[in-house]
Amino acid sequence: MNKILLIARRDYIQTVTSKGYLIALVLLPLIFGGSILGTRLASRGNSTSSQRIGIIDHSGVLAQRVIQAAEQLNESPKYTFDDLKPESDEAGQVLSVSNRIREGELLAVLDIPADVLQASDAAERDRVVYYTNSTGRAQLGSWLTTIVNSSLVGLRLEQAGLERARIPELVRNVPVVPMNLAKRDPATGKIARGDASNPLQSAVVPTFLVILMVIVVMVGSAPHIGAVAEDKTQRVFEMLLSSASPFELMMGKVLAALGACLTTSILYIAVGLMALMGMSLFGLAPLHLLPWFFVYLIADVLMLSAMGVALGSACASAQDAQQLAFLMFMPVIIPMLMLARISQQPNGGFATAMSFVPPFTPVLMLMRQAMPGGVPWWQPWVGLVGVAASVFAVVWAAGRIFRIGILATGKTPKLAELGEWVLRG
Amino acid sequence: MSAVEISDVSKAFQSVTAVDRLSLSVPEGSVYGFIGPNGSGKSTTMRMIANIFHPNSGAIRVFGHAPSGSRSGEVGYLPEERGVYRKMRVRPLLEFYGELRGGRSVSSEVNTWLERVGLSNWAEEKVETLSKGMSQKIQFIAAVIPQPKLLILDEPFSGLDPVSADTIRNAILDMRKAGCTIILSTHDMGVAESFCDSIFMIFRGKKVLDGTMASIQANYASDTIRVEVEGGLSVMDGLPGIDRINDRGQVQELRMGKGCDPQQVLHTLASRGRIFSFAVVKPSLHDIFIRIAGPQAEEKRHE
Repeated sequence: MNKILLIARRDYIQTVTSKGYLIALVLLPLIFGGSILGTRLASRGNSTSSQRIGIIDHSGVLAQRVIQAAEQLNESPKYTFDDLKPESDEAGQVLSVSNRIREGELLAVLDIPADVLQASDAAERDRVVYYTNSTGRAQLGSWLTTIVNSSLVGLRLEQAGLERARIPELVRNVPVVPMNLAKRDPATGKIARGDASNPLQSAVVPTFLVILMVIVVMVGSAPHIGAVAEDKTQRVFEMLLSSASPFELMMGKVLAALGACLTTSILYIAVGLMALMGMSLFGLAPLHLLPWFFVYLIADVLMLSAMGVALGSACASAQDAQQLAFLMFMPVIIPMLMLARISQQPNGGFATAMSFVPPFTPVLMLMRQAMPGGVPWWQPWVGLVGVAASVFAVVWAAGRIFRIGILATGKTPKLAELGEWVLRG
Repeated sequence: MSAVEISDVSKAFQSVTAVDRLSLSVPEGSVYGFIGPNGSGKSTTMRMIANIFHPNSGAIRVFGHAPSGSRSGEVGYLPEERGVYRKMRVRPLLEFYGELRGGRSVSSEVNTWLERVGLSNWAEEKVETLSKGMSQKIQFIAAVIPQPKLLILDEPFSGLDPVSADTIRNAILDMRKAGCTIILSTHDMGVAESFCDSIFMIFRGKKVLDGTMASIQANYASDTIRVEVEGGLSVMDGLPGIDRINDRGQVQELRMGKGCDPQQVLHTLASRGRIFSFAVVKPSLHDIFIRIAGPQAEEKRHE
């Protein structure tokens, strides 16, 4: 058997049978999935739990409208209201309700000024305030704004002479629905209008694909930096080097990482497809993107694991390797930080430019391709050329670091020294 | 034919010259002993022969071929600082090393060797569970399967108990009988003298000795008295004409200076105590080593 494949087979078996890999295989999706689920549940918990909000209505007309509007708006009441009578000592009352909020008796108190109905340009004068110490619940603010304003507009329109019964109909919002782009059917030449975009497809699918790639890369290739450093400190390499060249040794390790990543991704994708099938949502599966997913995955793993093997070989100890590990994570962590902005404008200038930066291309281009509307057909191919060139460059540089690093002794070199190894060989 | 031909080879690490214009020829089928103080260039020379380091200048040929990028399956190598994958089980580990070098399955050789060194019962155990001696035997097997034409052993006996050392020694001799050329380094001059056909000493990167024990000793006069006397070192003070005394415990080696008369030394010693043995001999390899690399040689170089 080819020496590279022989080394890859040994490292692959060691990786996929290690406790660390098996634990990470189960744990990482649980952590990612759990955190998303936890956020959803927490948010749902906030919205569904019945909590009390006090209203001090100095105008004497808005409180009941607000309470009615809240009841109508809520399918299940989110909040219950206490209509608190305004007291002559306004400051004293504010202090009193503040204390009730501190003690957890009330979630918030809405304070409506006496002249709230008078339309005015002076924002200060019209201001409705609320007191709360739940600063983390941004939803509460927007919810109260909606309720108060819809009640206020209704009252003002009534005062302007509109019939009360017609007001809800007149002020009712219309849904603004996002649509997929229209396209011409190449076979028939007919223009096909885009369907209403599925929020699941537009948000969940790209996020899932990107997170899947990040998980797979981290589980499969990240441990190599520590493993190689450990092998080096245990003096494993010298004996191997009499039988295999440093490049064969390095490429064996890189291919093992690739094998582990492909195993992980195939497992996760199979489980994901089965879950979608079980939920009768198989149509959401982005099967057309799977080839690109694997192409980008292979490129990312080749780059990162070559980098990891090289850095690991340069380290004097496994602890030093852990400190250098951040370098390895950069190509997946930096694009993750851009996801929110890119998902807002996937074909904007920033998103397009960033997705052509080779280390970020696998994550960002995939994300953009998975968004509704996709990307122009040529962009993934151009991105791929850049990625292929950078894979070649990284593997070449890693090979030069590795062949010096594995037999180097003494302290871990600084980044500048690593650069020197690359340039001088 | 030479198994290894080294011609004018130099190797430097940054500003330090580890091997300096070295030439050496290792005959096929011989046991060649590399000696020298720590840091003198032995391991670097061995690594260059094993194609792990590349010389800065000069040429190395192994069985007539210059080392290339691909490794030859003909060379087995046991490094001084040895390590193997400790999490692997013994049998898969040895099969991996053997297949990596030989390019074919080595299962039967693994079984034979494990039986030979008495580790058959440990074949399915993880390497990390083995004792140090067992682990060293495993590393030795990893270097010798499949049977190489050239075996390079960097201090193969260090850290081994006498029984394990004997096992390895016998295995090496058997391999030599089978036609394998063996290069080994050692700090044990007794091993070098008794075990090796030829000895090569490197000091500060330069070759200082090369040849059979007899040819090396031929360069030195019979200037040493090896004596075993009642009282040992305590009765050696003020012996006439003696430059230096090497105390070996029960035996002392006295180096004679110019004009020293052994008869007079014998007479003086006899007057101080019973003499069990007295011989005028050529210097031992140990003594030659000290003469080249010892502190007195260093002082002389600075004079």
